[in-house]
Amino acid sequence: MVVWSLLGVGALLVFALLVIAKVPLAYNLRNLTVRWRTTVLTALAFTLLTALLVVMLAFVNGMKRLTTGSGQPGNVLVLAEGATDETFSNLNIADLAEIEVQPDVVHAKDGRPMASRETYMVVNQPVPADAPLGRPKRRFLQLRGVEDPLLTGEVHNLRLLPGGTWFSPSGARLDPEAGGRTASAHPMIEVVLGEGIARELGRDRSPERLASARNPQRLDVGDVFVLGEDPQSMEADGGGSPRARKWIVVGIMDSAGSTFDSELWAKQSLVAPIFGKDTFTSLVVRTRDDQAARTFKDFLNNAGQEAEAGKEPGKPAGGGLKRTTVNALVEKDYYEGMTEMTEVFLVAIIIVTVFISIGGIFGVMNTMFAAISQRIKDIGVLRLLGYSRRQILVSFLLESLVIALVGGLLGCLLGTVANGWTATCVVTGHAGGGKLVVLKLVVDGPILAVGVLLSLGLGLFGGLLPALSAMRLKPLKALR
Amino acid sequence: MKFFLLIVKNVARNPLRSVLTALGSIVLVFVVTVVWSVLSFLNTVTTEKKENLKAIVTDRWVIPSRLPSDYERPLSEGASNPERRGDVKPLDYMTWQFYVGSLDPKKLARENFVIAVAMDASKVTTMMEGLDSLTGEQEEEAERLVAAMKQNRQGLVVGKNVLRNMNKRVGERVKVSGIGNFKELDFEFVILGVIPEPRYDNINVMNREFLDETLDAYPRTHNGRKHLMADRRLNLVWLKLADTAAFTQVAKQIDSAPQLRTPTVKCETAASSFGAFMEAFRDLIWGMRWLLAPGCLISLSLVMANAISINVRERRLELAVLKVLGYRPWQLLVLVLGESLLLGAGAGLFSGGLTYAVVNWVLGGIPLLGFFGICLVPADALWWGAAVGAATSLAGSLLPAWSARSVKVADVFAKVA
Repeated sequence: MVVWSLLGVGALLVFALLVIAKVPLAYNLRNLTVRWRTTVLTALAFTLLTALLVVMLAFVNGMKRLTTGSGQPGNVLVLAEGATDETFSNLNIADLAEIEVQPDVVHAKDGRPMASRETYMVVNQPVPADAPLGRPKRRFLQLRGVEDPLLTGEVHNLRLLPGGTWFSPSGARLDPEAGGRTASAHPMIEVVLGEGIARELGRDRSPERLASARNPQRLDVGDVFVLGEDPQSMEADGGGSPRARKWIVVGIMDSAGSTFDSELWAKQSLVAPIFGKDTFTSLVVRTRDDQAARTFKDFLNNAGQEAEAGKEPGKPAGGGLKRTTVNALVEKDYYEGMTEMTEVFLVAIIIVTVFISIGGIFGVMNTMFAAISQRIKDIGVLRLLGYSRRQILVSFLLESLVIALVGGLLGCLLGTVANGWTATCVVTGHAGGGKLVVLKLVVDGPILAVGVLLSLGLGLFGGLLPALSAMRLKPLKALR
Repeated sequence: MKFFLLIVKNVARNPLRSVLTALGSIVLVFVVTVVWSVLSFLNTVTTEKKENLKAIVTDRWVIPSRLPSDYERPLSEGASNPERRGDVKPLDYMTWQFYVGSLDPKKLARENFVIAVAMDASKVTTMMEGLDSLTGEQEEEAERLVAAMKQNRQGLVVGKNVLRNMNKRVGERVKVSGIGNFKELDFEFVILGVIPEPRYDNINVMNREFLDETLDAYPRTHNGRKHLMADRRLNLVWLKLADTAAFTQVAKQIDSAPQLRTPTVKCETAASSFGAFMEAFRDLIWGMRWLLAPGCLISLSLVMANAISINVRERRLELAVLKVLGYRPWQLLVLVLGESLLLGAGAGLFSGGLTYAVVNWVLGGIPLLGFFGICLVPADALWWGAAVGAATSLAGSLLPAWSARSVKVADVFAKVA
């Protein structure tokens, strides 16, 4: 809003200058075209600087959209007491059972409480050796073990893209490539992927695999990848190295714009033991609305404190809580609080922009001083024709602003190319913890407005001193 | 020499234009130098060393890595078998156990967090990257801190930023309550001093005996129940190895060691480990390398091209006179290029030096994410600046210089007449 207002004020100012000052605009525009090389070079510098700014801001905008787009209104995220992030949370199973039956928790159509028990893990995946050149050697993946994917999907308001299914109650299926006892001893784990991570994993495929891929853009339903190992396989296979675990994609989540876009979901009881995590890290419960979520969060947190103080916790409408030692957060607040990295980048971008803008201002100043020195006689003639000093000032300032506007608009156009680009990054919160994410760069109206404003600002500051020097020229002296 | 003096005089003839061009160059070279310093630092930490390298052993699959404490002994020997020929032992090793607590357990905010690496104090100056190569007063300070830690098991050596955030002084006591996985592990530390190496500005070092004793004593006050971290208290093990051949052999030994199977571990060079961490920022680094830095360089070239081309247009008469006086076209080309190079390289050199001084001496470095601490501008920045200034001014002045070379005397004088 502020940006649009500033842009509006800027446009009004330019219009007012044009109308009130009655400047020799045609003369200025003709000069710009006559000295087209200088005009083009200066405008190009504006274009580049504006495009850079637009791309950098689009990145931060993508991060912001991702964190604000994650989390559902009414959801409460429950972590262990003292934990500020899912990675370092270990919930007490008794707490989960008590919280789920609280009357504030709404119920699904089938009557079950809308409560999702989850085990969040960050795991290490070596990238296949046959991956194309330039791929990393290994990466960190975010794996979420859930009990009932349908319910969890409902709690997080996530659907699958057409053609996919949630994983089966067993969470595994036989590997058709393995025969006999091996097939049943080492089943493939069924996994549902966020669209972003499916795209990332899809890039690991060798050209040969890509040629026969169902979807060249990303992993798709039926694709198989390798992650982790089965320690039992050493005994089963008579020693040697553990057997690698195969995972089969059964669904792709329509999760663009949320942190879940970078996650893998699989059966908790299967995957948690593989990665040595035997507790739930988080419980997400749905309450009626945002207000109810806040009340319930406070109730859970106070219950813990009161239990610590040896008091009986208060009772919410119709239910009580014996004891909990949890850290409850409104889910939207949790994700929206992951702004630390966004703020760091924003500060870095502001610093970089200030510096490149100063460089740009010197460049514009140079151009305009040169333009004026070449047209000293013109200025003298204009003054003799009756143009006032103020009109000369506005005239040269407008010339600089026109170059800036053209360059800025072209820069915005160039920067718009970045809209929709994907990038990997980490979002972190002020209270620690964070998530690896695949985000989309978003170029929107306010960013383009900032780009144009920056460009106009450069034009204004770069053109002001030369325009002032033109204004101060004495007509007769100029003509000599 | 005369020709060079002519170049210098020409640059000095229009001070306003020269100063503006130089200022533009200085600012843009500053940005490029800072970006390159960060990229160079990341490149250094992720480049594999050939000799005297460090390896990190962690859980093969899970982040954060948590290993049983009985892994220490086999890992300290690189899982070598004395009866097996060709097995290699590491030159040295150290274990890291992390501890995370808060100064105020009720207020879980970053400014209250205390992140400590629990380790054997004697390894601080022999194994910790950067602290193992200190010299002079810094080395003496590090040795003093190690001696103090050995004497006082409650001793805490803190990072510079941590001390500032805690608002405490050296010698003061500080109470820390364990949070998350470290809940119910509360400590009272004595601040012994500040780690004399900027990369550790955000972390602290505590005695591992202090943490181990507290973990071992935990069941006595909790009905015999072990603490969550008791069985897997070891986070990572660092190994010092003579060269890449030794690393390859030790990694093989560890990979095949039957006693290191639950959980399985991976042994990788520190550079590879840092590289994996940086993978999350791959696209950001790509953007810095291929968008931001080139964008600034091209902008700088445009600024130069503009300034020089205006200059050449204004001096067509002068260039024509020089031709009449016997200057060859190539000499005019060199004259214009020389002026541009002098201006660009001079401004670049100044900018490189300025960046070095301001970032390293005034700002104390560029703060980076995670455990990288800060990044200093290398001394190479001096020649980077000069090279960037020279290259961009050369690129920007090629066409104007060519046009100066091609000035037609007859045309110029016809216009004047």
